[in-house]
This record gives sequence, C-alpha cells and structure tokens, in this order.
Amino acid sequence: MIAECTSIKEFSQGGQKKVYLAEHHEFGKVVIKKGLIKSFTSLERIKREVKLLDELDSEYYPKQYHFNIDFKTNEFEIVEEYIEGLTLRENFDFFSNNPSRIFTLLESLIDGLSLIWDKNVVHRDLKPENIIIRPNMKPCIIDLGIARFLDLEALTKTISPIGPCTPIYASSEQLTNNKNSIDLRTDFFALVVIALELYLDQHPFNEPGGKYSIIENILQNNYIVENQNIKASKQMSELALKVLHTQPYMRFRNYSLFKEFLKTYS
Amino acid sequence: MKIYHQTGFRYNWNIESFEKGVGDGLIFSPINIDSDKLIAFKEENKEPSFLDPQLYLLNEAKGSLDTYPYFPGNLKPDFSTPDLDNSHNELAKLCVDYQMENNFDYLVIPTRYHSDNPTNYFLDSTDFFVEPFCEYLKEKKVSKKVLLSVIIKTIMLTDEEKKNEVLNWITGHQSIDGVYIIFENNFTSKQIKDFDYLLNVLKFINILKINQLEVHIGYCNTEALLYSIAMPDSITIGSYENLRSFGIKRFQDLENSPMRGPNARLYSSLLLQWVDYVYIQAMEKLIVNYEDFFDDSEFKPLIFKPDFKWHFAKAEPYKHYFYVFNEQIKQLPESQSDRILYLKQKIKDAINLFNIIENNVLLDNDSDGSHLSTWFNVINAFEKEIKYYV
Repeated sequence: MIAECTSIKEFSQGGQKKVYLAEHHEFGKVVIKKGLIKSFTSLERIKREVKLLDELDSEYYPKQYHFNIDFKTNEFEIVEEYIEGLTLRENFDFFSNNPSRIFTLLESLIDGLSLIWDKNVVHRDLKPENIIIRPNMKPCIIDLGIARFLDLEALTKTISPIGPCTPIYASSEQLTNNKNSIDLRTDFFALVVIALELYLDQHPFNEPGGKYSIIENILQNNYIVENQNIKASKQMSELALKVLHTQPYMRFRNYSLFKEFLKTYS
Repeated sequence: MKIYHQTGFRYNWNIESFEKGVGDGLIFSPINIDSDKLIAFKEENKEPSFLDPQLYLLNEAKGSLDTYPYFPGNLKPDFSTPDLDNSHNELAKLCVDYQMENNFDYLVIPTRYHSDNPTNYFLDSTDFFVEPFCEYLKEKKVSKKVLLSVIIKTIMLTDEEKKNEVLNWITGHQSIDGVYIIFENNFTSKQIKDFDYLLNVLKFINILKINQLEVHIGYCNTEALLYSIAMPDSITIGSYENLRSFGIKRFQDLENSPMRGPNARLYSSLLLQWVDYVYIQAMEKLIVNYEDFFDDSEFKPLIFKPDFKWHFAKAEPYKHYFYVFNEQIKQLPESQSDRILYLKQKIKDAINLFNIIENNVLLDNDSDGSHLSTWFNVINAFEKEIKYYV
C-alpha cells in the first residue's frame, strides 16, 4: 500500500518509529509509521494496537488502512488516517480558565475512551500530545502503543520499578508498577491531570518553587487547583477531589459515574 | 436498610419468623439445606432472598453441600485447586443456573476461604470466579443484580497495603452491583469492643458506598446497629452464635470435635446487649419490674415464666431476638446524620439502664455494657471521618 502513496514527507521521529505524511489516491492524507521491532514485547504491543484500531470504527480514533511486518528486516509499517487538527497541547488557550469547555471535552473523551474501556483496554498514555482536536473541536485519541489489554497477558515485567507511561501524566499505580491495580481508573487520573493543566495552563502537580518533582508530588498526592493567574473553580476543584487520588478506589468506579458527575455541571 | 435472616442449622426458625413478617429475606445456607428441599421452598420465601454458595473450602462436603449441582466434588471426585483451571467455566455455569432456577433476588459470586490469603488470591478469584460468572451472566443476558462474596480479614482492615489491595480489587469489577461481605475476626468476647476494628469496618463500608456499590453484610451480631451508620444496604440476623460471627469451622467436617453449648442469653434492645440467663434470674430476685429491661414480644410471656427451662438450643429466645432486632433496625432514621444522633442517644440510654441494673446485679463482661462506650466513641470518630468525604 505504501507504494501507492505519494508526496511522502518525514513528519516526526519517536523512540522506536519514524512517522511520515503522505497522500493516497483513495484515502487522501495518510500517516505512515515505520520502525524496527526490537523484541517480542514490542511486536506484541504493535499487533495488539493494530488489531484494536482495526476493530474500532469511530471518529475518536484514527482509521487503520494497512499493517505489515517484514520479517526479513524485522520492520513494521502501518498506514493510518491523518487527523486534521492540532494537538490538545496546541489548543491550551481555548480551554484555559474555562471549566465549561473542559467539561465538554472530558465528556467527549470519555465517550471515545469508553469504546476501548468496554473492551477491557486501558490507554495508559493519555496526555495532551496524544489527543488531536479536530476542526469541529471533537477530540481524536491517538497512540495506543502502550495500552494495557486487561484480558490478555501483561507485557510489562513485574520486576520493573515503573510501568509503561509518560510519568507526568501517570497515576501512582503506573509509577509504582502496581499492575494489578491498573484499570480504567488509571485513565481517569490522567484525564483529570490534563483537565486541570488545561484550566491552569500549568501542570497541577508542578508547583513552581516547590521542593518536589511532579512525580514525587503525584505519589504524595500534592496538587494545586489554582495559581497566581487563575482562581480555583468549584467544579474543577470538585473534579480533582473526586479523581486525583493515589488509590483507584477513591476515584469514580466506572465511566458512567464519571459522566454523571460531569453532567451535574452541564 | 434491609434485614436478612442468616440461615443455618435451625433454618426453620428463620423461615417461621420471616413468614410472620420478620426480616426482608433470607440468606440460604447449602450446608444446612438440601438442594432439592431448597428448590421446593415457597417462591415468596425465595424471591426476596439470596443464596450464599458456600464454596469457601472448595471440596469440603460438609452437610448437604454435595447435594448442590455446582459442588466441585460433583464435577470431579477429589476436586482440588488445580482443577479450577479446567472447571471454572462449568462451575460458574452450574452455580448461576442453580441460582436462576430458584429465582433469587440476587446472584452471588462465591469466594474461597484461606486462613492466610496467598499472594495470588485476588488474581485467582478474578480468573476462577468473577470473570467466568460475569461472562456467563452476560451470555445468558441475566438482568438480576450481582453480588460478589468477600471475606474481609482483620489484617485487610488494619494493614494499609492490604486494605488498598482488596478495595481496589472489589471496586475494579465493572459487572458487579454490590458485595456480600463478611467481616471475619478472632475476638473472644461476645461483643466486639475494639475501637480500631469497628472504626475500620465503618470506613471500609463507607468507601464501598462512595463507590456506589450495594453492601450486604453477613454474619452480623448486634454491632449491625453500629454498622448501620455507614449506610449499608442490609445486615443480618442469625440464631446461634456461629451465624452472628463468621468462623470457617462451620464449614469444616470436624468429626468427634468436642462441642460445648454456650449459656442461653436473651437480647434486649434497650440494653443493646444479650444478657446471660443466670443474670436474668438474679435480676428477677433483686430488681423490681426487671422484665421492663427486656422487650415485649409474643415469646416474652413464655420466656419469663418461672418454670422456663433456659437452654441455648431453645427456639424462643432467638425468635424473640429476630423480632426485637428487626423492630429496632426498622426504627432507625433514614438519614445518616439522624441515624448517628439516634444511635448515640440509644447508647447513652443503655448505659444508664446498665447503671441501674449494676446497682443490684453485677454482670460479667459478656452481659454488661462494656462495649457501649467503645461504640459511642467509634461513632464520634466515624462522624469526623465522613466529614472529610462530604
């Protein structure tokens, strides 16, 4: 399929893969991902991600057009839909100090994520860079590369001190590699970190001048709900109080309860 | 808050009381009730009730447990833990089918009992019980509510890491509606007088309620009154002491083990205590209108006859308890704050009554009000605790 693509340009380079932007005569703008399979674990992760995206037919996720592994070179290639829009990180201004917009975004993200949660899959890497805001302001969730498939065998070594994650958006159960406690409530935590970061335009676990790092603050559950520029809002504070806990059992038990809470403010 | 009869050896006492309007349902006990007999019970006794599947020891065929189709020994003789690998789906199917056939109000997922829970206990419980049960229920499109059985050991309340583990495990199951929870303890006194233990139980229930799970507490004694302030969905009433405090011995075939019956006791809702009959006999001689310390019921006239032969195995004191405790629970205010105030006042009233009694009759620690100050303090501590969550 890649042979059918034109105008291939390098887009970005991650740890294990190169990403290209290209044109396809049938699908229009597409993203090509290529990389080296370094281990059985990385092969399994890629296969799981591809299979999941294949099953999902939703505007909340990019469509998957092609997947291939070249066992001679140990390289994989994926062609998927190019999502028009900017990352959530690039949209911070739109949400800053605006709880109502943030709550609307959260509702959409929960709708999107519920599609994978219902399949017993946890994204585990939610962060502003992994959420694309389409021109119609609907979010699209990308990069399920380290998603945890709760019904399948775990791919993370139990002895690893830290589980796969982007540490500053990770819950304490990820940071301590407490694999048995990882479930959709792990994603709830990241969503609320993102929500507060949007609101404050500042990471809530990063207090400037404070003596602890973000990760230390997450583990100690020290966060802020206001800063010099933005006063605390009742709904954002309550959201934080309901979700930002080190123990998952102190967060919403399921996404229906989470949505119910969001709706009380809509 | 509902009241279930925790049935056991003399389950007919419970059924007779229930049929007279005492309690909201029954928790059926397979070791005591033959499977066919249970199937033949009246619909109106089964529909508001549920079954405790009692797979605590997996293959211990105590009593009539082996008359149940889901009893593991019926799937394979000498069934042992490794057999669960191949049989968990079949076991789930048979257990669900049996509960469905009886049209109970709830479907209950069983749990296993270990004196010391192994490290993989929760993972195994998920793999062997929760998942196969939930999958089969989904396949059968069962709309009944599902309760997960859980035995909470004292260490799960006191050890932070273990408490977190069990709470994360329980609340992590998306397909359950609630828990059938049993608090196991090793206290030797008749009443629980441990401040930390009782407060931890209340906090535990409270967390489950915050998670919007139904909480049905099994094997309750009178501390159920105290537990009521954490707003569980139901508590239990039981006859013999082994139905008011969980012990695994009840499910073990202990042949030729020595048995010693306890002294007969009578419950008083005014004293919030069961009083040993020897003290009631002393009260009769030493306190005017001593009967007023005890509640009225249809059984009271018989119990207070001079020639009543007190014995722990007699039905009347238990049936009296079922009736009195049921009335007492039904009088509890609906709201948590009112319930707390009400119970605190009842405790103060009971302490005053004990002072009157002990001016004339000294009571031992299992018949006096020595648990009440702890209860009162626990309520105050819990009140402080819940303010944090509001």
